[in-house]
Amino acid sequence: MTTQPVKIGKESKSIFKDKVMQLLPDGGNLNACLTCGACASGCPATGLADMDPRRFLRMAVMGLDEQILKSEWVWNCTLCWRCIYVCPMKIDIPQLVYHARKSWPREARPKGIRSSCDMALTSESCSAMGAKEEDFRMVVEDVLEEVRANQPGWENLTAPINKAGAEFFLNQNSREPVTEPDEMVPLWKIMSFVGADWTYSTKGWAAENYCMFMADDENWERIVRIKAKAVDDLGCKYWVNTE
Amino acid sequence: MNVNLLTLSEVVDVSGEIGNFSVKVKQHPRYIDMEKCIACGLCAQKCPRKVDDEFNLGLNQRTSAYIKYGQAVPLKYAIDGETCIYLTRGKCKACEKFCPTSAINFEDQEQIIDLQVGAVILSPGFKPFDPSGFDFYGYRKIPDVVTSLEYERLLSSSGPCMGHLVRPSDHKEPRSIAWIQCVGSRSTNRCENGYCSSVCCMYAIKEALVTAEHTSGDGVRQTIFYMDIRSHGKDFDRFYEDAKAKGVRFIKARPHTIEAGKDNCGVTMRYACEDGKIMIENFDLAVLSIGLEPTADGKRLSDLFQLNLNQYRFAKTSDFSPACTNRPGIYVAGAFQTPKAIPRAVTEASSAAQEAATALIHARGDLTRSKTYPAERGIEGQEVRVGVFVCSCGINIAGIINVDEVARYARTLPHVALVENNLFSCSADTQEMMAKKIMEHSLNRIVIAACTPRTHETLFQETLQETGLNPYLVEMANIRNQNAWVHQREPEMATRKAKDQVRMAVAKAALSVPIERTKVSVVPKALVIGGGVAGMQAALSLADQNFQTVLLEKSDQLGGNAWKVNTTDQGEYIRPFLEKLIGRVESHPAIEVLKNARLTSAKGSVGSFTSEIQVNGASRDLTYGVAVLAVGGRETTPAEYLYGEDPRVVTHLELDALMRDDSAGLKKAKTTVFIQCVGSRDERRPYCSRICCTHSVKAAIHLKDLNPQMNVYVLYRDIRTYGEREDLYRKARDLGVIFIHYTPEQKPLVGREGADLTVEVFDPILRLPVSITTDRLVLAAAMEANDSKDLVELYKCAANADGFLNEAHPKLRPVDMAVDGLFVAGLCNYPKPLNETIAQAKAAAARAAVILSQTEMTLDAIKSFVTDKCDGCALCLDVCPYRALTLTDYQAGDGRTHLRMASDKALCKGCGLCSATCPKGGVYVHGFTMDQLRAQVIAALEDVA
Repeated sequence: MTTQPVKIGKESKSIFKDKVMQLLPDGGNLNACLTCGACASGCPATGLADMDPRRFLRMAVMGLDEQILKSEWVWNCTLCWRCIYVCPMKIDIPQLVYHARKSWPREARPKGIRSSCDMALTSESCSAMGAKEEDFRMVVEDVLEEVRANQPGWENLTAPINKAGAEFFLNQNSREPVTEPDEMVPLWKIMSFVGADWTYSTKGWAAENYCMFMADDENWERIVRIKAKAVDDLGCKYWVNTE
Repeated sequence: MNVNLLTLSEVVDVSGEIGNFSVKVKQHPRYIDMEKCIACGLCAQKCPRKVDDEFNLGLNQRTSAYIKYGQAVPLKYAIDGETCIYLTRGKCKACEKFCPTSAINFEDQEQIIDLQVGAVILSPGFKPFDPSGFDFYGYRKIPDVVTSLEYERLLSSSGPCMGHLVRPSDHKEPRSIAWIQCVGSRSTNRCENGYCSSVCCMYAIKEALVTAEHTSGDGVRQTIFYMDIRSHGKDFDRFYEDAKAKGVRFIKARPHTIEAGKDNCGVTMRYACEDGKIMIENFDLAVLSIGLEPTADGKRLSDLFQLNLNQYRFAKTSDFSPACTNRPGIYVAGAFQTPKAIPRAVTEASSAAQEAATALIHARGDLTRSKTYPAERGIEGQEVRVGVFVCSCGINIAGIINVDEVARYARTLPHVALVENNLFSCSADTQEMMAKKIMEHSLNRIVIAACTPRTHETLFQETLQETGLNPYLVEMANIRNQNAWVHQREPEMATRKAKDQVRMAVAKAALSVPIERTKVSVVPKALVIGGGVAGMQAALSLADQNFQTVLLEKSDQLGGNAWKVNTTDQGEYIRPFLEKLIGRVESHPAIEVLKNARLTSAKGSVGSFTSEIQVNGASRDLTYGVAVLAVGGRETTPAEYLYGEDPRVVTHLELDALMRDDSAGLKKAKTTVFIQCVGSRDERRPYCSRICCTHSVKAAIHLKDLNPQMNVYVLYRDIRTYGEREDLYRKARDLGVIFIHYTPEQKPLVGREGADLTVEVFDPILRLPVSITTDRLVLAAAMEANDSKDLVELYKCAANADGFLNEAHPKLRPVDMAVDGLFVAGLCNYPKPLNETIAQAKAAAARAAVILSQTEMTLDAIKSFVTDKCDGCALCLDVCPYRALTLTDYQAGDGRTHLRMASDKALCKGCGLCSATCPKGGVYVHGFTMDQLRAQVIAALEDVA
């Protein structure tokens, strides 16, 4: 198989990369790549969609905008930051990926992430799984009651909800109350063990924010603001997000 | 005698200026009297306090009484006051009880020493990078992750496992070892070391090769993970290629994380190959190739001396004077200036010495001391009277060997007139006693049965000289290192062996005759061949030290390549420097410049050479004491990539000319492509031209500055912007220059499509061929040495296979040539940037000045001499490595002409190859004549028979 050479030179055309660089502090160091491959070595998504972080950046640098903006690999990336953590040049590949996601038409973005984002927008609980404020309260209270009744030594365990003035405001990923409610308990025990003054909130209790993974800036912000307001409304000092 | 070594000392204050500094030095207590210590090691053996051995990086332990390592200078023990039991808790003194010379002094105090000096050279060195901050490599968490320096100690025969390599986890021999390069270098994430440490590629390759020598059997697997292999020094690429041929794996990849292997033994790494393929591999041991960092001491010194440091805290110097700081009279050498390997550190140390020598020229010799001895008395016709001094060396020898018995035995040997046993033969009082006995008993041959001549022969020779005896009438029998120390369990056999050794030494000594150290008078004049920057700088440095210098240039213009290059690597403009340098050289009263000149003959040797020189067609003779060879090098003419066929294809020097003369034209280009290694690192020239990567990167930056919209591509094999040049590489990338890696198997293709000039290259990261339409193609044409075959022939000096003139030893004598009195500098020695050329030229001048500053040079006495048995067969001629022998005619008594060898004492090094080769006793070496060796052999076998 012969591959047609990529034609470069004459007119500069790394439009996408240049645009992202303008948005990032120090341009995200996107030009600084030594092509050492430390990122690709550690990336859980290396090899998926015939792509890896080094190749992705290289394509952006070489101006292969069309290909990278079409690459589904950006949705394989977990935005885990393993690449930038070890990169000798501290290149912000996650941001490059993020902006590539952003360039996708909303309706073309992966359905799973998109519906999770949309679902979170349907109530003030911000739950991507659609669990409403009162659903959450009920699950917490049920589980707490059961622990107090059945686990010796934890008769006085608390899981406060909407406790005004608590020091810590705690979020909870929807997956626990919805599918594995018992998984919430260890965290309560830790909070109790260290004597933390904490609270859940019915408003904005869900920790996840799929709109961020969707690269939907507007709705990402909207969800963050709902949660931030809940923290402020309860007058908590610290916001602890378990995500 | 003229070097005063202050150990355990630090500078605490400095004032004054060039020519007159007052320096306050704080010397910490050693607790051991250096005059008395004989380095027997008993204190360390008896010391009960064990602490981590910092020299072996804590891989094993030492005691509080210690020497840092076996080769320490001075070889004197010290007590570590921080950990010593007596000094910290007031009890113990075990060392004091056992020290045979009462050298322990717990009353030792910190001292303040005031020095008056005219110049100061700072060389505080570097600190190895500590990788514990990189949690992803697991250093200090995973047992089998070590630093390269720790690995160096693990390999060393004087290291913690005596050279039998084992890994830390289970003390088993590792069979597969991986190196990760650039740990703490070329990184600005989690450390601030944006520079390349310059030495790690080579030490990793060396460690990989040496590993094979320190492991048992075959099948050891060495893998080096790298970004660019930077084997940019002389003959380094050969070493790299050799390592590849010997099976060392080089993988262009960077593992992300090191994880511990099964049972916490060994390691696992996942890495992406250049083509993106993921590999997961286990290794028995991982070595982190750590970089070089400036030291805290360097920072402290620079504060004290008010020196400017650069952004990385290395000493800031100009490329035109690499040893000079912002303070006149304060000079720097070594890695304090920038990370560098030993050859450059040693060269630059000499150049710092040259700066200091020039600064203090008016005071030269004021404070130097030299020793004088009484006139030598002849022993001719005297009866042989041997004095034997058997040393106990405290209990070092006497604890194993029955020294009384050896002494009694020595009295029975022929010619022996006196035998004494001394507790310490080397102590000052014994020396005095020895001199007295020599006079009293009219001794004329001396045998010292003690330790090694390597450390002590000079001392005993001086004692003989004090009594007017020729220093070569002393012979040593090493009954300590070669006997007592190695036969500790067999004292009786050891005593017998000591007798054998003494008998052999006496037999040889009886045949010793006075040997004269040849003196040559030095012609106080230097010849410098080559009028480029190296030659001019060498000439100027010599002339500034008041030595008459003749500078010989083959063309009609001084300056050489420097006319064609615009800036140094730090971006300093060369032209003004060059014009000033030429001006100074041409107007210097001590320099005679000869243009259109060449050397046509060379005779003589160090101190006195004679040459015929052709100047503008006329011939003249020149006599000189030393010569600096600086004949330069040149950019080669590429034979590929359409060079010479398409005017858009240019070389580096041509690009520099365009930068000077046609900025507007350059600016117009929409695209410029550079191709590296054009004619370098190939079969014809298997070396790296060293300067081209930096030059391309610098030029690329220049083009981007001219026109930020220009597309600039650099096609490379390894980018070798070593040291702080790495900043230029980073800057070029930041400006958008794109670097594309190619391999010699898949070189770029240059062609024309219609009017377009195109370069096609495979981009390994894209995994796609890339076709670049370019307006200009710049070729990094290889550097070559100018032809020096005639000089090599005339001076009998040496060049390597690539035509670069050779130094005597790359590390120990980097600017001396193997022929004494000849020095080398600049491109003719190896391609190098201007700052290194200048440093080397100054170093050559410093080394040459060592000879020129003496009116008479004393040569070593151990030299070959031709006897009347020589019949001129010339077998010895071929084996002499120093070309010290020549075949000559002579008129015999019968009036006929015969052939006979002649030995040039100045060239001979006394190696004895000639003597061993000669079938008829026609050539011997003083002090090792056939008679003497025979007598020793007979004496050795006597007991057996």
